[in-house]
Amino acid sequence: MSGLLLQAVVSGLLLGGVYGLVASGLTLIFGVLRIINFAHGAVMMLGMYASYWLWVGLGVDPYVSVLVTAPLFFLLGMGIQRLVIEPNRDAAEHNQLLLTLGLALFLENLALVLWHGDFRTLRVPYANASFVIGDALVEVSRLVAAGGAVLIALALFVFLRRTDVGKAIRALSEEREGAMLVGIDVARIRAVAFGIGSACVAVAGALITPFFYVAPDVGESFNIMAFVVVVLGGMGNFIGALVGGLIVGLAESLGAALLPGSLKQLVVFVIFVLVLLFRPEGLFGGARGR
Amino acid sequence: MAARVLGALAVIALLVAPPLLPKYPLEILISVLFFAYLGLAWNILGGYAGQFSFGHAAFFGIGAYTSTLLLLRGGVTPWLGMLAGGVLAAGFGLFEGYLSFRYGLRGPYFSLVTLAFAEMLRVVSVNAKAVGASIGLVIPTGIAAPAMFVFAGKLSYYYVILAMTAAALVITRALARSRLGYALIAVRENEDAAEAAGVNALGVKLAAMALSSFLTAFGGTFYAQYFAYIDPTITFGPAISIQGLLPAIVGGAGTVLGPLLGSFVLTPISELTRAALRGRAGADIMLYGLILILVISFLPQGLMGLRRAARRASGR
Amino acid sequence: MGDDKQRGTNGFLTRRGFLGTLGAATTVAGFPAMARGQGPAPVKVGYILPVTGPLAFEAQLALNGILLAVDEINAAGGIKSLGGAKLTLLPGDTQNKVELGKSEAQRLIDQGVVALMGPFSSLVAFSVRQDTEKARTPFLLLAAVADNLTEGGLRYTFRMQPNGKAMATLTVDNMLEMANAANVPIKRVAMMHEDGNFGTTMGNHVEAFAKTKGYELVQRVPYNLRSPDFTAELAKVKAARPDLLLISGYYGDSKLIAETAAKLRVGVHALVGLANAAYSNPRFIAENRELTEHIFDGNYWHNPQSARAKTVFEAYQKRFSSPMSNHGVQGYQVTFVLKDALERAASIDRDKVRDAIAKINLTDHILTQDAIRFDDTGENPNAMPALLQVQNGRPTVVGPARFAEAKPVFPVPKWKG
Repeated sequence: MSGLLLQAVVSGLLLGGVYGLVASGLTLIFGVLRIINFAHGAVMMLGMYASYWLWVGLGVDPYVSVLVTAPLFFLLGMGIQRLVIEPNRDAAEHNQLLLTLGLALFLENLALVLWHGDFRTLRVPYANASFVIGDALVEVSRLVAAGGAVLIALALFVFLRRTDVGKAIRALSEEREGAMLVGIDVARIRAVAFGIGSACVAVAGALITPFFYVAPDVGESFNIMAFVVVVLGGMGNFIGALVGGLIVGLAESLGAALLPGSLKQLVVFVIFVLVLLFRPEGLFGGARGR
Repeated sequence: MAARVLGALAVIALLVAPPLLPKYPLEILISVLFFAYLGLAWNILGGYAGQFSFGHAAFFGIGAYTSTLLLLRGGVTPWLGMLAGGVLAAGFGLFEGYLSFRYGLRGPYFSLVTLAFAEMLRVVSVNAKAVGASIGLVIPTGIAAPAMFVFAGKLSYYYVILAMTAAALVITRALARSRLGYALIAVRENEDAAEAAGVNALGVKLAAMALSSFLTAFGGTFYAQYFAYIDPTITFGPAISIQGLLPAIVGGAGTVLGPLLGSFVLTPISELTRAALRGRAGADIMLYGLILILVISFLPQGLMGLRRAARRASGR
Repeated sequence: MGDDKQRGTNGFLTRRGFLGTLGAATTVAGFPAMARGQGPAPVKVGYILPVTGPLAFEAQLALNGILLAVDEINAAGGIKSLGGAKLTLLPGDTQNKVELGKSEAQRLIDQGVVALMGPFSSLVAFSVRQDTEKARTPFLLLAAVADNLTEGGLRYTFRMQPNGKAMATLTVDNMLEMANAANVPIKRVAMMHEDGNFGTTMGNHVEAFAKTKGYELVQRVPYNLRSPDFTAELAKVKAARPDLLLISGYYGDSKLIAETAAKLRVGVHALVGLANAAYSNPRFIAENRELTEHIFDGNYWHNPQSARAKTVFEAYQKRFSSPMSNHGVQGYQVTFVLKDALERAASIDRDKVRDAIAKINLTDHILTQDAIRFDDTGENPNAMPALLQVQNGRPTVVGPARFAEAKPVFPVPKWKG
């Protein structure tokens, strides 16, 4: 039994790292734009396809592909924000939610139309690399993804503290009026934030391609988890996203090990509802998002 | 004036034309009315009360499963089962609503919580042998028995859904003109101000939730009787939640005719897309996504908003 | 076979409208009227398949089989008892959605098809079979595995391939038989299955037959097919020390499970797919050579001992530049079931065709079974899945013995702990 638990904990943490990775971009977007981006998973899916095509067409390793996809999706994200979201920045909150939902439907089905529904896999030579800790299996590719999560969280943290743009983003998320008063170009910062969020999630996608498949609906598995993580960790809080991710991953994995049937999904939703009801600002506090 | 004539013609067409239609277009019309009905039910909470639920599948599923289980396990006619389903759904809606509203969930947070509740019901059903789990439940529709909500021909189902849609329209209209309706709108526009003015925001929101979920459940029973098969994903999955709200958004949330209009508009568009982009699955939903974006961006009041704008422009 | 996909584009429902009806009507109505003077009117045969959408790839494979059969029939002179009438295939695209399936079926029925083939998804089939029954149109099921599809006294629904119960029980029988022959007893069986209709059906049967077949189901793990990680589930399986692991899943999840099982060294004698969408899928095998070597799958297949099957295989390969899959086999064979019925009915009256189908006793076929017949519920009592094992990158029939083309490699060392 303890072997099972150890494995559940180890895989849970690894999986949680991935969830945290996906959630970082989402929480940044929420922190600045105050919108819950339903299209986050779809952008990740596009990022995965980008890495896939780079691999298939040019033999670029997915880990290396982020050098291309991150800037590309940064620009794409900025474009989407300026084109679709910014014009509606004063719309009712629920309308903004529907906007991102429409975007999600559009992007997912664009992928379906362009590339059909077949699953694609990126077979990198090191895909099978793994080692054991005690009785527990650790897949190297998953470890790298989890490690990537930590790196990105740290990078974002430093970026927000040290750079001008980062400070502007923080200013805007904490105090919008004040930010405008000191002359921050609000529109530009908002676009940049969305761009960074999109770049993050595209990188997340690249990092999971060595162990996960690529298909138009791949983002859906991660979308809902990302919401849960962001709410749990506190909207706009990166470290929160990382820790929240670990918690969600652990809960899911332990649920799989200990609960009958496929009830592990229930654990995550219960956590979600409880946090939304009793601590909507998240475990670590973040914007309440009204 | 022209609108009234058009409206009257439409009503007559809906009543009289179907017996003349071949089965296939009739099938389509039934679908259109079905989604109009769901949209109307959703609209009471989403449009009038302004609480955007993304989890109406919860009520749809409760309706479908209640009437079907009562039928299969107890021989109860779905006409009664429908009522039972409505009551249970309203109960669940009140539970969900009370928790959400009492704890101050609004806007996107409310939407997410409703989504979570629907998903929880789905996961529980998938794992519950007692309700058939993923094997689903088959509704016996081989032998016609109108008393048991089983008809020999599609035409009868058409008139049932037509009646349901008409009833939903009447209810919505009555609501819009009632005190409750005004209270809902006040809460929707500015909850704090409404409270300050003496409106019991929690109470009215719960009332809207109860009515909306009650009506949605009936849609679930209709689905079960018409399509003859239900399972956790069909009934509790996010698809039916989204399809239920799209007609209302496109047509105009918070208006009486909005959901009906929205449903009648979305269908030909979907068809044109599929005809134009033959062999490209997903093209029609891509367009739905685009339409949603365009409607939110340019017609936030939906199509009915155009009518209002036209009225304003003509000085009425 | 994985058929009840619940993944995909939000399972969105769409509706065809009046324009669609008109368009379709003009393409088809013309035929007999435009009579080439001589020659009998073609026989209209319809199919409803998810040719676009998440199952498009598999559906196209089935459709290829149908196309191959129709062309073969027409080239050989059509339906002789109808004066050489050719078959005309009318298409229907369900996109794997219940409402679309229903309306497409209705459209084809309105257009006068003598029979309908399809629809892949059991969910779609549940709804369509009511309409085909009311319209008294024979409905030949393709790939839909749910057992209760033929329940309810329906007279117009027929299933040529093994249903869920047959798939599960016969595959387990075949595995146990093979294990006995190798002197490796199977006492402890574990099963993982996706938690939808398909997987749950398989799981229920494997559980129900444990006692009578003499094994203990030590672990049954349903899972959500969208899950990005199955390590905990497989650790649970490993902890139960099973001799065999059965897996009923779709492409992506089956891949993840096999990979994780390999890395975990889950300790079984073999990994066995139960109507698995991936394990005898040539594309999956080609993309995962090392992983899939010696994996088993109980699935529909063609009979490698049959000379006719070999010819058909070659024809398929030549025409479609890829090996014929089990979907293609099914599509091909079900078309010939219809052809045989039409010949004997010598009529395009749907009731007569239905009766002819019900009385079928077809031995000239390419499946791994005895004669194709239907019992009074419309099931094929002789339906038999083949037991396949991937050997040298090729799914090879290793059971039942009389159809086998090679000896199985069992136990498979690489899965052992």
